Amino acid sequence: MTPLSAIPQTMYNFGTMPGTDAVRPNTLPTPGVEGPSPLSQPNEITPGQSTGDSFGNVLGKLISDVNTKQNAATAAVDGLQSGQGVPLHQAVIAMEEANVSFQLMVEVRNKLLDSYQEMMRMQI
Amino acid sequence: MIQPLSGIQNTVAALDAERTRLDVISENIANANTTHGVDGKPYQRKVVVFENALQQAMGGPDANSAMTPQLRVARIQNDNRAPIEIYAPGNPDADARGMVATPNINIHEEMADLINASRAFEANLAVVKNEKSMAMQTLSIGKH
Repeated sequence: MTPLSAIPQTMYNFGTMPGTDAVRPNTLPTPGVEGPSPLSQPNEITPGQSTGDSFGNVLGKLISDVNTKQNAATAAVDGLQSGQGVPLHQAVIAMEEANVSFQLMVEVRNKLLDSYQEMMRMQI
Repeated sequence: MIQPLSGIQNTVAALDAERTRLDVISENIANANTTHGVDGKPYQRKVVVFENALQQAMGGPDANSAMTPQLRVARIQNDNRAPIEIYAPGNPDADARGMVATPNINIHEEMADLINASRAFEANLAVVKNEKSMAMQTLSIGKH
């Protein structure tokens, strides 16, 4: 059972969201300034190409970890119910770990969505 | 791999070990009257020996390993106390004098051990419960 297997692929797209690359000073119209030349200096900063993992990758790893935990819990419960000698406490603890991991993922998602909505509410 | 309940690995090992101890105690109680085992002798009382995780951490053979030391069952060994002989000439296991060797199992002692193991199991379960409660409370930081 892979209940969350479709989500990591979706989340990897966060790294290539149009917002991260498209919002650059030189592509924005600059009202009140004569030309784009004074703003050419910040072009050195390219947020999409920073070193290390992108946020989307980190999030995708978190979600695949949660998926692994869920699979481990399912395997433990299966082992318990089919009489393979898995002790009861191990199955229950695996389920609790999966539960807490899932809650953590949901909290991250809530934070992400909250910040997105906060941005969308912003008056320009 | 994320470890949301990071502190409970040792607790899970302790739960396993206490579970084994409970199994062995129940075996002792069940066989308190077994006068004829597989080898023809009366049942020998078994005791569980836990490995001292602290001693292992402070300089035992696994001191340099990267694994954190955990409690585990080192071995299940026979208690070598002599069997009790009772007079029962009608018993098929009786010897020429009519004496039958019965296991030297004191049911009161076993019950005390059972309570001991059960309480230890309970304490470890409380640790798991507390750990989960702490994790859930931590996740609700900032909520109103």
